[in-house]
Amino acid sequence: MDRANPQPRRRDPRAQSPAESSSDELAAGSDHDEAERRRASWTLQKGFTPQRPQKTSRLYSESESPDELAVDADEYWRSSRMRNRRRTPSPITRPSVRDDLSQGRSDDPEDEVTGSDGNQASVADNWSDRSATPLAPPQPPKPEHLNYKEKFVMHGHLRGVSAVQFSPDCSMIASAGADAAVRVWDTASGRLIHVFEGHLAGISTLAWAPNGDWIATGSDDKTIRFWNVNTLKAHAKVFDGHHNYVYQIAFAPKGNILVSGSYDEAVFMWDVRRAQVMRSLPAHSDPVAGIDVVFDGTLIVSCALDGLIRIWDTHSGQCLRTLVMEDNPPATCVKFSPNGKYVLAWTLDGCIRMWSYVESRVLKTFQGHVNNKYSLSGCFGTYGPRDVIYNPPLCFAVSGSEDGSIIFWDIVSKQILQRLNGHKDAVLCVHTGTLRGKRMVVSCGADKTVRLWEEVNENDTGSDDDAFGRDVTPTPECHSRKSTPTHDADGDDAMTDVSAVPSTAANPAEDVTMT
Amino acid sequence: MNLSLVDPFVLAQEYPDTLTEKLSSGHATCLSFNHKGDYLASGRVDGTVVIFDIETNGVARKLQGHTRQIQSLSWSRDGRYLLTSSQDWKCILWDLKDGSRIRTVRFEAPVYIAELHPFNHLLFVASLFEDQPVLVDVSSTKPIKRILPSAPLRPQAPDGEEVDPAVAAKQAAQDAKHSTCVTIFTAFGNHIIAGTSKGWINIIETQTCTTIHSMRLCNGVVILLRLASNGRDLLVNSSDRVIRTVLMPDLSQLGIDLEPSAIKLHVEHKFQDVVNRLSWNHVTFSSTGEFVTATTFMNPDIYVWERSHGSLVKILEGPREELGVVEWHPSRPMVVACGLETGCIYTWSIVSPQKWSALAPDFGEVEENVEYMEAEDEFDVHPAEQVHQRRLDQEDEEPDAVTLDLAKGDGDADGVEPFSLPVLMDIEDSDSGEDVVAVGPGTMRRRTPGAGREGVNGDTEKPAANGTSRGTTRSRRR
Repeated sequence: MDRANPQPRRRDPRAQSPAESSSDELAAGSDHDEAERRRASWTLQKGFTPQRPQKTSRLYSESESPDELAVDADEYWRSSRMRNRRRTPSPITRPSVRDDLSQGRSDDPEDEVTGSDGNQASVADNWSDRSATPLAPPQPPKPEHLNYKEKFVMHGHLRGVSAVQFSPDCSMIASAGADAAVRVWDTASGRLIHVFEGHLAGISTLAWAPNGDWIATGSDDKTIRFWNVNTLKAHAKVFDGHHNYVYQIAFAPKGNILVSGSYDEAVFMWDVRRAQVMRSLPAHSDPVAGIDVVFDGTLIVSCALDGLIRIWDTHSGQCLRTLVMEDNPPATCVKFSPNGKYVLAWTLDGCIRMWSYVESRVLKTFQGHVNNKYSLSGCFGTYGPRDVIYNPPLCFAVSGSEDGSIIFWDIVSKQILQRLNGHKDAVLCVHTGTLRGKRMVVSCGADKTVRLWEEVNENDTGSDDDAFGRDVTPTPECHSRKSTPTHDADGDDAMTDVSAVPSTAANPAEDVTMT
Repeated sequence: MNLSLVDPFVLAQEYPDTLTEKLSSGHATCLSFNHKGDYLASGRVDGTVVIFDIETNGVARKLQGHTRQIQSLSWSRDGRYLLTSSQDWKCILWDLKDGSRIRTVRFEAPVYIAELHPFNHLLFVASLFEDQPVLVDVSSTKPIKRILPSAPLRPQAPDGEEVDPAVAAKQAAQDAKHSTCVTIFTAFGNHIIAGTSKGWINIIETQTCTTIHSMRLCNGVVILLRLASNGRDLLVNSSDRVIRTVLMPDLSQLGIDLEPSAIKLHVEHKFQDVVNRLSWNHVTFSSTGEFVTATTFMNPDIYVWERSHGSLVKILEGPREELGVVEWHPSRPMVVACGLETGCIYTWSIVSPQKWSALAPDFGEVEENVEYMEAEDEFDVHPAEQVHQRRLDQEDEEPDAVTLDLAKGDGDADGVEPFSLPVLMDIEDSDSGEDVVAVGPGTMRRRTPGAGREGVNGDTEKPAANGTSRGTTRSRRR
């Protein structure tokens, strides 16, 4: 609910794009100052032991929240905070600390880039430099950036949108948020298909059943509900059993099992057919914020705000592995990689880490986004030309950021491939999909919008050199767009054809010729 | 994906040891796993077929069409089609995608066992009660039945010699007494293995429906034939209280390397209980064929023998009733058996203890105390930023998050298009075990006499309250 509940007055005005400021400083060569400041931020961060901003921010939401459920639960969390001796951050000082932290940290990806290349040039030059130097001869050069463009902006949600997902065939998009409604959109046209209403409180999570017939949603009213996309009716059985907000849900690949993580610190495995709890995993001692099931259904991963990430055996219900960073930052979201070998974990120290769970080791740390308040959620995706075989295949991780951007990282180089701007507030959930051969990304955020982004053939775009990643000035659309201008921005539920309005999407540098 | 994390000692255990689960939905009499092992079909006394989801232990689908006890179940290779045979003289081929009946085949007698061709789900072989076995082609709506011979193949008299008419007449009279009790397909479906009431094994060519080899195995009736997953080992249960494992030649080589006259069946092991003279209700191979499992007559035990030495390795215990059909999971060490009295389905599998070291990353499980050697720099304090930066710099691998390891050849490798059973959201399984109540240790009583003999379509569902209460007890028991 937190992440679905935009709280403007909590947003620090200084929380602008951190990469912008820091990289400029880096370019100016103020290395010493930067290091100094970075160290300061880290010692500060060390001073405050891992916090649970989820809970503290809930104190603020109390007055705004219209539902009674939130109030008594706040009571619960306040008391639980009391008995938890370790965590005593002052919610007033925290934002400034976090801001320092994010600034100090945000240049790490750039450091990484220069470090791995031995290229000490500024980041602004970096793009052009890298594009000019190919990688190993047998491999075709990797694309240095992605070129996603905004296609539709879907308005209609009355409050922040916390979850969005493509249907399994990507023909539809489901989104849900703090207004307790589930909206289903047509991917091709961006039009609203249906609104499901029935939850009594905000929705934090949704999942499409693997066969595409059902949408499951988990809500702050402690229930999980199913909605049938074909009949446009709600399922008669309500999945009732959690004692607190349902935070995240995921389907097993066959659709017979649904896994849910909740604020009541439990992970439930539900028998979808009977709408009953099949097994409860004695999971965590803190709210379970993230959950995912591996592609073959044999493993479940869960993460909690105590920073623990646990891997479970679906069949036996036993914990097989626990992953944790030493200063356990609250973990808010976990996702298995497409081949199930790795786990991507979002933590509130502004990092997304890719773990090899077999070795209990962090393989990659992705930074550059702002994440210290919301449970952001993202996705893996593939990129690059389809007719070229790369080894390993080109794969990105994508996540929203609390500064309103969407960031794509290459999972090998950790380099930021693209930064999409457009959302006016934190981007809470991003999901990737492919429809008719077009790679797409859908995002939703606290600004009440759902946005669809489509990968555009790079040769169509005009060149726009220095702007990539940091440009916040609107750029006029200079390429032909395949949007369907069928609908004017007249109604509440209308999609907006972005070709009509100045887009804020940044154009990446255009000096790589793709095959 | 979980194999890399599971305790190798648990994985190394090949046969189950603990009664872990009790499934019930009516009075089950026969069981069959699909090839992938995620669904278990059970046939009930009342003619209903219930398909359980092994992952949730819930009912995935119910099939209603038979009016009397189900005799056998046979899955197609892709798991989409199910052939059921019943005492109501019918065989039904079901499409599990929507639960519809594709074909219904009537016979002149009750059906013992019907088995689908391993690759063609529109061809099956059925052995009938006191009648000739038939090979049925249901590729068109009108089934084509071909009668299979039961008489053993007699050695042909050499050319030129006169066959004594008296001997011939005697043989013919003897042959007429043979009736086939069980018929199964070989691994590729080119041949049918038939067991007769006189203890003979006949190998019949599917194409021509002629017997190409016969062998007398025992004196009793051949009750059941099973083929191991390798297709070469045959398990024979007969009424002489001996279970035999028989090694077969590779029949797919017939006509290439192997002449029909050269076929020899070699008995490998004879399993029996010489002390108690137990007879065996039902037998099965383990998933790998290394073990042989049997339920015993008038006895609640399941015997597990291993085949390399032919020794008894385990007696599975648990329920207090005699067990009928026993089945081994196609890939896991898991055994299911159904109770004759209650019709419950019991499940034995391996219960692995929670490894406590899995719960905390810095814990390790050691056999005995270890002298801890502190590393030289273990408690050196580095600036956090430096540590962080060093860590980031070390992240220089090239992980591949997309490509799947398909070395194991899971499922789809053999060219079978995967079929996934739809998840029915409106399934009710509330008419479960409630019609049998335990009135004391080991004694059960049927609550409603005549229950379980419901109409063909009118499945009398109990109120949903039954289901809920059962569900809560189940979840509590875990």
